[in-house]
Amino acid sequence: MAKKFAVLLDDKRFSSVKGSGLEDKIDFLFGGALKAFIMDISEDEAKKIMNTFDTARVDSRGYITDTPIAFNRVLFEEIAKAKSLGGEVIGAVLKREKEIKDMAAKESDFLPAPEI
Amino acid sequence: MTMRMTTPLPHGGRLVERVVTDPVLAKKLAKGCPVYDIKPTVNEKGVPVRNVYREIMSICYGFFSPVEGPMGSAELERVLNERRLLNDWIFPFPLLFDLSQEDYKKLGVGPGDRLLLRLKGKPFAVLDISEVFVVDDREAMAHRIFGTPENNPEVVKEPFDKKHPGWVIYKCHNPVMLAGKYTIINPPTFKPPFDRFWLPPRQSRAEYAKRGWRTVINHQTRNVPHVGHEFLMKNAAYTGDIEPCNGIQVNAIIGVKRRGDYPDEAILEGHEAVNKGGYIKPERHIVTFTLWDMRYGNPLESMLHGIVRQNMGCTHHMFGRDHAAVGEYYDMYATQILWDKGIPSFGFPKSVCEVPYGLQIRPQNMAEFWYCPKCNEIAYSGSCGHSKEKQKFSGSFIRGMVAEGIYPPGVIFRPEVYEVVVKWWKKFNYPFCNEAYVKRVEEELEINLPDLDV
Repeated sequence: MAKKFAVLLDDKRFSSVKGSGLEDKIDFLFGGALKAFIMDISEDEAKKIMNTFDTARVDSRGYITDTPIAFNRVLFEEIAKAKSLGGEVIGAVLKREKEIKDMAAKESDFLPAPEI
Repeated sequence: MTMRMTTPLPHGGRLVERVVTDPVLAKKLAKGCPVYDIKPTVNEKGVPVRNVYREIMSICYGFFSPVEGPMGSAELERVLNERRLLNDWIFPFPLLFDLSQEDYKKLGVGPGDRLLLRLKGKPFAVLDISEVFVVDDREAMAHRIFGTPENNPEVVKEPFDKKHPGWVIYKCHNPVMLAGKYTIINPPTFKPPFDRFWLPPRQSRAEYAKRGWRTVINHQTRNVPHVGHEFLMKNAAYTGDIEPCNGIQVNAIIGVKRRGDYPDEAILEGHEAVNKGGYIKPERHIVTFTLWDMRYGNPLESMLHGIVRQNMGCTHHMFGRDHAAVGEYYDMYATQILWDKGIPSFGFPKSVCEVPYGLQIRPQNMAEFWYCPKCNEIAYSGSCGHSKEKQKFSGSFIRGMVAEGIYPPGVIFRPEVYEVVVKWWKKFNYPFCNEAYVKRVEEELEINLPDLDV
């Protein structure tokens, strides 16, 4: 079954896609408190993601979650590059598997805390 | 008809309390005993998955009343077959004191002997041994504990395997079992912040009486609370008797963590932040914990939760979907089925509240809360008619947001709760439990032991 993936947009990401034509594809969640791209992930792509990243799982909403933070970051980069939420974006992300896994290994020991 | 509820009796009729606070008596009890240094149970990779000290604490302080010590072979069989102790009271899991063959041979103890148990190199408890027996096939025991799709088709959907943390705990037990009764002879002190949330049953019952809480509903947690949890607590508490429950008890399960869970410290202080922030006022809300390496046994775990919280003096217990679950081994409503109509294959043809020697605590089976953009509020799934538009509180989605450093909106995390997450994130350099955290917790534990020269 096809799955979904939410790419969250903070202010920095939001401003970087302004003018790209992607603004129309933004979903406003929780009363507009959160902005995200909601991507449709085909069954094949979902399987590839799950097989490549062993922490990935599908939550009760049918969304793929628990991917490495590096995966989410690279996914956004590829979306911004392609100006698309299409299947080709996932293909481009999976081509960067090694780079993502290297970054993920570092992130499993340390993640900088935000200043609030 | 009695309209007002009263605090239920402890499970089994009386609270177990096996803690010696007099050092003179403690020394007398320990004098001349063979000594065993408690070791963690480790999985096949050598990673700790359980420490029996947590079971000893929960037994001796009465959380697991009426259990007084590690089970013998007949009691183990009865728990596996009928989910009952030898005295007939219902109980879901075996509680065992296991040793390797090598350690057992070195100790050379048997029935009638007393064993001094040391923790972190210091005297901690004694075990009065009544039986020694061997469980050769712990994998088979683990299957019998959690059930199988063939034997428990009402609720078990998939065979248990090494991905299930509770199944792994039992599979990794050592073969030699010592049965008997524990007595803590050197009560540990909890490190901050655990110390201010430690409220064992005798004290919790006294506290609720002091607060004038006739009815108390429990919220089970192993999570930092998001706003969906807060709404679950607030709304489930509308049940009660002639008025909503007087008190809401949060009882966190503190034990071996899984990677990706929030640190224990953040869980406890996160719940405390809910009342400090006034989202549920402190006069109506209290945060506590129980030591237990969670078995993730969904319906079976919920039975243990019912026992613990009844012993703590709660009248009600809220249960949601996928209670204490991991993966898809059980039906997502297995817990609610157990408390509603029972699970015959586990020994319960009726609700665990309606069988002889069952529980008195009342279940409050809840569906879920979601954000509804049409209602423009956090809505109860049993009431909201906009299931197509719903936006669910997904724990893993929220964890992802935290990890990406995105400030969660107040409709997801109260700012005070998020501040707690960040506080412990800075301390541990990571927002969730990673290998370093898990290792440190299992080396240092939640407690310190005073010196006791025996």
